[in-house]
Amino acid sequence: MSFGQFAIKRVLQGVGVVWGVVTVVFALRFVTPGSAINAVAPLDADQETRRAIAAELGLDQPLYVQYGQYIFDLLQGDMGFSYIRGQAVTSLVFSKVPATVELAVAATVVAIILSIPLGVLSATRRNQPIDYGATLFSLGGISTPNFWLGIMMILVLAVEFGIFHTSGRGVNVGDVVLSLVGTEPFLDTLLSWLSYITLPAIALGTYFTALITRLTRSGMLDELSKPYVKATRAKGLPETLVRYKHALRNTLIPVITVLGLQLGTLIGGAVITEAVFSWPGLGTLVIHSINLRDWPVLQGSLIVIGTSFVLVNIVVDMIYAYLDPRVAYD
Amino acid sequence: MSNDDTTRRRFLRTAGSATAAVALAGCSSDSDQPDQTEEQSDTTGDSSGNGAGNGGDAEGTFSVGVTMGQMDSGLDPQDHAETNTEIIVGQAYEGLMDRDKEGGIIESLATDWERVEPGVARFTLRDNVTFHSGDSLTAEDVAYSIRRIVFEDVDISSPQANDLGAVSEVEAGDGEVTVIFDGLNPIVFQLFATNGEIMQQSWIEENDSDFINRNTNGTGPFQLSNYDSGNQVTFETYEDYWGEKAEVDEVTLSASGESSTRVNRLLAEESDIVTNVPPQEVSRVEGSDVASINAVPSTRVIFLQMRYDVEPFSSQQFRQAMNYAVDVEGIIENVLNGFGSITGQPTLEAFTGYNPDVDPYPYDPDEAERLVEESGHAGVEITLQTPIGRYLKDVEIAQAAASQIDSLSNVSCELEQREFSSLVQDITTGNIEDKPHFNLLGWGNGEFDASQTIIPLLASNGALTVLENDEVDALMEEAQNESDLEKREAILREANQLLHDLAPWVFMHQQFSVYGVSNGIEWQPRNDEFIDVDTVSSK
Repeated sequence: MSFGQFAIKRVLQGVGVVWGVVTVVFALRFVTPGSAINAVAPLDADQETRRAIAAELGLDQPLYVQYGQYIFDLLQGDMGFSYIRGQAVTSLVFSKVPATVELAVAATVVAIILSIPLGVLSATRRNQPIDYGATLFSLGGISTPNFWLGIMMILVLAVEFGIFHTSGRGVNVGDVVLSLVGTEPFLDTLLSWLSYITLPAIALGTYFTALITRLTRSGMLDELSKPYVKATRAKGLPETLVRYKHALRNTLIPVITVLGLQLGTLIGGAVITEAVFSWPGLGTLVIHSINLRDWPVLQGSLIVIGTSFVLVNIVVDMIYAYLDPRVAYD
Repeated sequence: MSNDDTTRRRFLRTAGSATAAVALAGCSSDSDQPDQTEEQSDTTGDSSGNGAGNGGDAEGTFSVGVTMGQMDSGLDPQDHAETNTEIIVGQAYEGLMDRDKEGGIIESLATDWERVEPGVARFTLRDNVTFHSGDSLTAEDVAYSIRRIVFEDVDISSPQANDLGAVSEVEAGDGEVTVIFDGLNPIVFQLFATNGEIMQQSWIEENDSDFINRNTNGTGPFQLSNYDSGNQVTFETYEDYWGEKAEVDEVTLSASGESSTRVNRLLAEESDIVTNVPPQEVSRVEGSDVASINAVPSTRVIFLQMRYDVEPFSSQQFRQAMNYAVDVEGIIENVLNGFGSITGQPTLEAFTGYNPDVDPYPYDPDEAERLVEESGHAGVEITLQTPIGRYLKDVEIAQAAASQIDSLSNVSCELEQREFSSLVQDITTGNIEDKPHFNLLGWGNGEFDASQTIIPLLASNGALTVLENDEVDALMEEAQNESDLEKREAILREANQLLHDLAPWVFMHQQFSVYGVSNGIEWQPRNDEFIDVDTVSSK
């Protein structure tokens, strides 16, 4: 199978998965208890008012008509209309994507900056204090729930010491970039941005950091024990080059794969972190929509989260196939 | 090999740069800043954070931040039915009449009102009122606004359709508006003091729903300066406001569903007012030197409904026994940290129709057991259904009540926790036969009138009723057709006495609104849960 065929196959599989996501998400509305009408009508609304609202929302149509209409609209980029908020779902959902992506990328950056050096150090100084420390950190990071870590960091670093903001997203990374050319002072904007994003990024990225540290450590140990490393050493290459140019590069291939896949997980998995930090992203929108029984927005959000996960997977698979052609031929 | 390496490296570098560029570009365009708002406002937006925080900033602007449990469900003031949205849109929109902090009726866009004849009310409009668009308020705008709420065929099917009574016609006159009702509508002015926000007809007709839900054009003391849907809403003072200018220059309303996050925002001085501080967080706020707790009785009553038509609840003695079995004062003290007050009738104190001669049922398990025996239902097993997380400490309250009933020697009671939307599906079914036998519920009555609780919840044709009683129905019918206010109040008092005796509910408590308020501001909360930021002043 050529790379092109492989790519087409993966994309088609992805489309199938997305269709499945859309169908399951659509069906959820009908299998979960509670009517959308109750989210709109006051509790004491009479049956006539309820029927009028149902008709206005199209909820009195047969299920297959609603499903068909939904798919038809979706193909045109229309995710429907939020009867609770009275707003178009597509623009509402996509207005939240940047905040979630920003948080996921920041968490990934935190993870990369901390985990790869720590993993390398841990591997190259095996069974030394730094290795024990890194192992302890990894275990702690993997076993600590991120919402608890978030709350603790807020209490200590935001409420007690006032270093960071407790919650919200006052300044975004775009403001920081614009301050380079605009009138806002760059340093102030940067610090303000950091005061908002640091804690949620750490809370979200800690598990990830721990995971990559372990992966890098074991990968490095594996590579360092391989014959080609002995050969490079025998050729007289400095140890730094052996470790960082040869062993680390090979270690990074699976690390990059996991990074890519985890980015998808971070987009979908930031719900709790977003709730703790009132981060105005897709996660907060999902929770808010569940509370309001705002099904169109919930459907739209879940479809975007599911689709982004599928997309990231496809891209990672294709990069992997490109970097290692054996994958495409299998 | 070397070429391959170069290509891959270049590819990865390019891909990395592209990803970063997309992320940056995406993040910089994150705002629901509405077009019109940008035109209307010179405000540059919130570059310094989303909590205004304690009395202003270095430039001398007095900013106030409010953090609630949930954000709005769109900014259309006539297309919602919940408190959080009302708090937000109420900063910009006003009705014909208003209420003071205790619930008393005061003027707003109408300076005078009178009942011209039974079923006909006339409102005299205030002069020199302008919408935030700059256009003057007209009688046609007022008439259209009322029609949009009550008539299905005018623009939207408003969930507030029943909030103004059964309106049959609205007529715009010269500086006045006349509203004609089907029947007397004895509480017309109570209804208009709580409901019916006024919008501009041409603005509604020129814009679609999506726009109306992202922008405001009211007559209130604040106009919208930034709307970030689901995140935060910022208002600034409307300079041409007809009333007294607020001391506050800017209001930022945001939300956090996590109560601990709300309290953290208050304690970190990022917010000035936070809503619904749960009992377990009260000491943390009181123990700080930056904020304190301010609690007021709300308009919400919490009760346990018992369906009159099924055993054992069909027995009046059994229903009364349940009232004696539950230690409401103990629950208020231990579960709610004292933030509640016991009730013994459906109507709350200070409401029209409240009967001061009715005492709450005392906690008396012996009397409860005696009444159960008398009812003939000794040994019965019952189940109390409760929503989860809908009302303050609802599950804990229901657990305590069920446990106290279960501790009677001749009744066993289990608790069933239900997701609110699932429970409400059964409650709003329309047929009393499909409703739960025994469940916890809360009811807010913003009109401060007994009828607005008794009719929907306890009259035979009420949407949520668990009782069909001819005597109650007759009294309510009489009250709704009585134009003499004193006579009407006497009828409502009688109805409350009757309902106390019939005991269709285990009368629990009046819920309190518990706010955390920064020590940097002066603000008194209201009974009706609305946050009137225009009354905030700096200390």
